[in-house]
Amino acid sequence: MPQQFLRPPPAAGRGALPGRLAQGAGLGFRRELIAELKSGVPEAISFFELAPENWAGMGGRSARDLRYFTERYPFVCHGLSLSLGGPAPLDETLLRQIRAFMHEHGMTLYTEHLAWSADDGQLYDLLPIPLSEKAVKWTVDRISRAQDILGRRIGIENASYYVAPPGAEMSETEFISAIVRQADCLLHLDVNNIYVNSRNFAFDPLAFLDGLPLERTCYVHVAGHYVEADGLLIDTHGAAVIDPVWSLLDAAYQRIGDVPTCLERDFNIPDLATLNAEVGRIAERQAFAAGKRREAA
Amino acid sequence: MQAPDFQAFQHAFGRHLRDPQHTPRPPGVPARRMQVYNELLFNNLTGFLDACFPVCRSLLGETRWRRLNRTFYRDWKAQSPWFRDIPGEFVRYLNAGGIRQPMPAWLPELAHYEWAELAVDTMDCPISAHDPAGDLMSRPIVLNPALLNLSYAWPVHRIGPDYRPRRAQPTHLVVYRNAAELVEFVEINPVTHHLLTLLGNAPNSGESACRQLADELQHPDPARLQAFGSALLEDFHRQGIILGIQP
Repeated sequence: MPQQFLRPPPAAGRGALPGRLAQGAGLGFRRELIAELKSGVPEAISFFELAPENWAGMGGRSARDLRYFTERYPFVCHGLSLSLGGPAPLDETLLRQIRAFMHEHGMTLYTEHLAWSADDGQLYDLLPIPLSEKAVKWTVDRISRAQDILGRRIGIENASYYVAPPGAEMSETEFISAIVRQADCLLHLDVNNIYVNSRNFAFDPLAFLDGLPLERTCYVHVAGHYVEADGLLIDTHGAAVIDPVWSLLDAAYQRIGDVPTCLERDFNIPDLATLNAEVGRIAERQAFAAGKRREAA
Repeated sequence: MQAPDFQAFQHAFGRHLRDPQHTPRPPGVPARRMQVYNELLFNNLTGFLDACFPVCRSLLGETRWRRLNRTFYRDWKAQSPWFRDIPGEFVRYLNAGGIRQPMPAWLPELAHYEWAELAVDTMDCPISAHDPAGDLMSRPIVLNPALLNLSYAWPVHRIGPDYRPRRAQPTHLVVYRNAAELVEFVEINPVTHHLLTLLGNAPNSGESACRQLADELQHPDPARLQAFGSALLEDFHRQGIILGIQP
């Protein structure tokens, strides 16, 4: 059989873009949207988010398209495969590739899920970490190492889950708070994940929100989800955002102000006008929250 | 150092995800909730495989295809964090042997051929400086770097619902990304494959590559091979397989 699996060296000669901060409301960057986006990015969209696992180290059309947009808009790097709470050794090669990729495209924010996604091989999806003291320490050490390699603080996202690992020694908010404090990292707040988990595990989403280290919030996600026949909510990012999740976003903004927020949409992707309207609803809420805070000040 | 105990849960969870039929559900995990993960993770994986291997999938049929996907997930510990490497890992799995499920002898090569399109489409490779107008015979040739020069035992490019070969038939294909960044496939003969291999191994002028080729083939008429080679290289240049010469 052909022996042609080796990855060629990365392309040289693409200059690094200046670092830019994402602000306002943004949208998940997807190949399905590129053709429409090239004919004009709607005004509500101030930045894009991508998964480095889907875009780094690629050539051809993919690289050319990405560069076209990173030259024009700030991008946030949102990881999927780092397996921060996983049992396998931390993938430091991946971290160095992400660092180079962020530098090349002028990205200044990297976030990952507080989850695990590999045992002795990749499982390619996000799984819940047992809420134990040892897991806190294990995960904190790995986040610290990741921050050393990336040369910046990273944000960790409260993940959605369908199983609460048995033998929890603390609540999830205590787990997240301990990790954020000990690793000196940032919080990436996903309000849809809070809502989905609150329904699937019968807890109060507002109380959960108030239990988080919100002063550390660097970034926010909002998305839609799917409801199965028996009422279980699945975090698909495949539907419009529902009102209770918008309300939870408002509640978050009341507490933290208008932190940059991304609409995630990964399945059943509608046309750009529909997505723009939804991103616009984020921007309106941000403006409202900023106004309120000015009044209060 | 002993592994922290929470990792016992993670390993049990991982084992069950990889093989839900034959490994126990981790203690304390409700069946309904485990089912969500079993479906989410396997569907995620098969999404990447289905997108890359439509011909393999249709020729094997849904049941056998899914069974092969499942043993891949169970037995092959893919290490790459990039999702686009899942199809390449699957091709390695098929070619590594040890699969008990019966499958057509050509399936591993057919899968490799389907993967090659994705590989070339996304290959990240610098384009060396080159002179597109220079004489290909006299100066070292610059090949298109986004290119795979492939040899198969089976005629993979002809396999389909109406053609399932029973005998091997050596096949040489060049898969490359053209100037418009679209992937092209060209079938070539063994001598041309050999010449392209020589050009890919080291910087070589057309003249020197043809001379080497004549030596290796013990060709009775090296001058004729030079003429043949020159015309061929011009063709390759027009097609974008060759970019030009070193400046």
